[in-house]
Amino acid sequence: MTDPLALDPVLPARERSQLPFNDAALDHDERYRHFEEHVTGGGKVEATDWMPDEYRTQVLRFVEMHANSELMGVLPEREWIMRAPTLRRKLALTAKVQDEVGHAQLLYRVAEDLGKPREAMIQDLLAGKTKFHNVFHYPTKSWADIGIIAWLVDAAAIVAQQALRDSSYAPYARTMRKICWEESVHIMHGRDVVVTMVTGTPAQRASIQEALDRWWGPLMQMHGPRSDRSKDRDIHWKIKAKTSEELRQEFLGIYVPRIWELGLTLPDPNLGLDPATGEWRYTEPDWNELRRVVTNHGPKSEERLQFRRDNWAATQWVRDAILAAPRAAA
Amino acid sequence: MGEAAGAVEAEPVDEAAGVLEPWEVFRQEKDGDPMRHGGSVMAPDATLAVHYAREMYGRRQESVHLWVVRRADIHDLADPDLLQPPLDRSFKKPGGYVMREKLAAAREASGQQKPRANKGDR
Amino acid sequence: MTESEPVERIAMDFTDAGDGRERAIALLLLSMADDEFVIGFSDSEWTGIGPILEEDVAISSLAQDELGHAQALYRLFAEVVADGRDADAVAYDRPAEGYLHARLLDHGRGDWAATIARRYLYETADAARLAALAETSFEPLRDLVAKIRREERYHLMHVEAWLDRLAEAGGEPRRRLMVALEAMGPDAGTVLALLPGEPALLRHGILAEPFAAVESTWRARVDGTFGRLGLAALPATRDPGTARTRHSHAFRALHHEFTMVRGSEAAATW
Repeated sequence: MTDPLALDPVLPARERSQLPFNDAALDHDERYRHFEEHVTGGGKVEATDWMPDEYRTQVLRFVEMHANSELMGVLPEREWIMRAPTLRRKLALTAKVQDEVGHAQLLYRVAEDLGKPREAMIQDLLAGKTKFHNVFHYPTKSWADIGIIAWLVDAAAIVAQQALRDSSYAPYARTMRKICWEESVHIMHGRDVVVTMVTGTPAQRASIQEALDRWWGPLMQMHGPRSDRSKDRDIHWKIKAKTSEELRQEFLGIYVPRIWELGLTLPDPNLGLDPATGEWRYTEPDWNELRRVVTNHGPKSEERLQFRRDNWAATQWVRDAILAAPRAAA
Repeated sequence: MGEAAGAVEAEPVDEAAGVLEPWEVFRQEKDGDPMRHGGSVMAPDATLAVHYAREMYGRRQESVHLWVVRRADIHDLADPDLLQPPLDRSFKKPGGYVMREKLAAAREASGQQKPRANKGDR
Repeated sequence: MTESEPVERIAMDFTDAGDGRERAIALLLLSMADDEFVIGFSDSEWTGIGPILEEDVAISSLAQDELGHAQALYRLFAEVVADGRDADAVAYDRPAEGYLHARLLDHGRGDWAATIARRYLYETADAARLAALAETSFEPLRDLVAKIRREERYHLMHVEAWLDRLAEAGGEPRRRLMVALEAMGPDAGTVLALLPGEPALLRHGILAEPFAAVESTWRARVDGTFGRLGLAALPATRDPGTARTRHSHAFRALHHEFTMVRGSEAAATW
């Protein structure tokens, strides 16, 4: 994990600016107060600005987990790149997985500029010290999973990411705008796979329903348990704007009708829109499962981490000799 | 601009290359647009930095022109004393010239009407 | 079974009105398409596990480009053969022994050095082949080759940058590169090996010069680069008669993988 004191800014600090917390002549408490006022008032923070350790650590932890999730999120779908059933699907899936690697790059760059080197972040991920999203700890069992993941897992992710486009940490907010733009294609690709199979043979349709039934639990857990807005430090610092429950409600509101529209069912007898409150009712997700899974005790956690470790080790010589060593004279 | 990119392709400046370091990427979305900062890539030298910039900021055909600059080569200026000096500079800005009342007095003295709004009128 | 029998069997369920022109074009298109298809698969295996994230994204783009070229070539093949199969059916619905890619591409993905070695040998050979088709009399192919050549420029820039770095780094990178080149070198020339329809291709102005001449041009280029980098010269092509047949176990495993979903249900739309 990350010790705040170990995080040195990698960019030269803006020692002077119009923002009072950048004034090195002020004492820490005064800078902290100015900074908090700035951020809670809707101000943005750049990598070169002074920031309290708590903020730096909080942003780093948030972005690092997001980056880890993109990197690990590659693996469930990657297995199916070689099995895609048409040239167009093969191209689309390769491009989608490529985007996830690209998003990991963008996010690790944001995190790197907060002071933690990429190598250290990857080592912590491989050692199981840092986390990644629950949905990437589960197996992909069929081509239908590829449709369900690209449509609904990406949809749940994009709901969360759209709410981050106005994050107080400006480099993160900018990155989110780029990522949201790129991910909108993934949802179209996934939905197209699902719709094609739903209107295909009975076996294809059954395969989609089976995948949906399997993924619904993890999808409902994905945004996390309800939390107290006033105690959430990510919200206090305006790193994120919405609570887990707000995100889940938004996801259900958009996507449940689109799922039902296809004649598919969802494995929750209590799921429905409460006309009185305008809120979606649902059976309480299994939060114990979520805790187990994100602490790397999910069905594929260890296998995927081991796969990453093996591949990271297999390319270490490239990084050592070519990418991080002076080029020998020709 | 084109010259800079051409120079990178032809003969990368590699004397200090080798260490994976950040390169800042600027992109132009379409002809006539300004170059805007896109983000950064890690690369050991200019040649690979240009390749990676193309991948990260051009693979969806979203750019027509890229600049790739070693972060260490960027000179930074954010000092408010230099950029936002405190004393009056209103004489440098159009808003610094307020003559509504003087014009009204001039019209009154000359017996003229206020001219109708006209494009380009200052 | 003669050595060339699978080659003959592939595309040949169509009548050729003339003197072998369509047949020869079909074979040429299919061999090129299969080359791009198979190298695209090998390269796409790197997606998600490249040496650094930036390079991971780069190699995936290269894979997508190759697969896009394969798709365009399969489409053109389907138009020429006009037997009711579309590009996907041509690409996927053949037994493993029915593919016409060059043996160079049968070595499996391998490590990063093997990937760079294969990509360098293939890209340079493909560039020579495309140059010999730039003025082809078969108009749809001429248009397509012009587009493909524009995209292949980047591929060459990328792979040459890496070849230089591996060769010049010394130590482990250079050793790994040499191991890969030793394994693949004898198969490198298979990309430009003689195709059964070559006389017809030449007679009709489809191909500008014999493959043997294209191969010499290509070898001169590779020899120059390898000489500059102090690498051993490429050996002659091993067993050129089976350059595009008798595929390896690695390819059969790949074939099993890429037909798995599509073959799971006959006549389904995906």
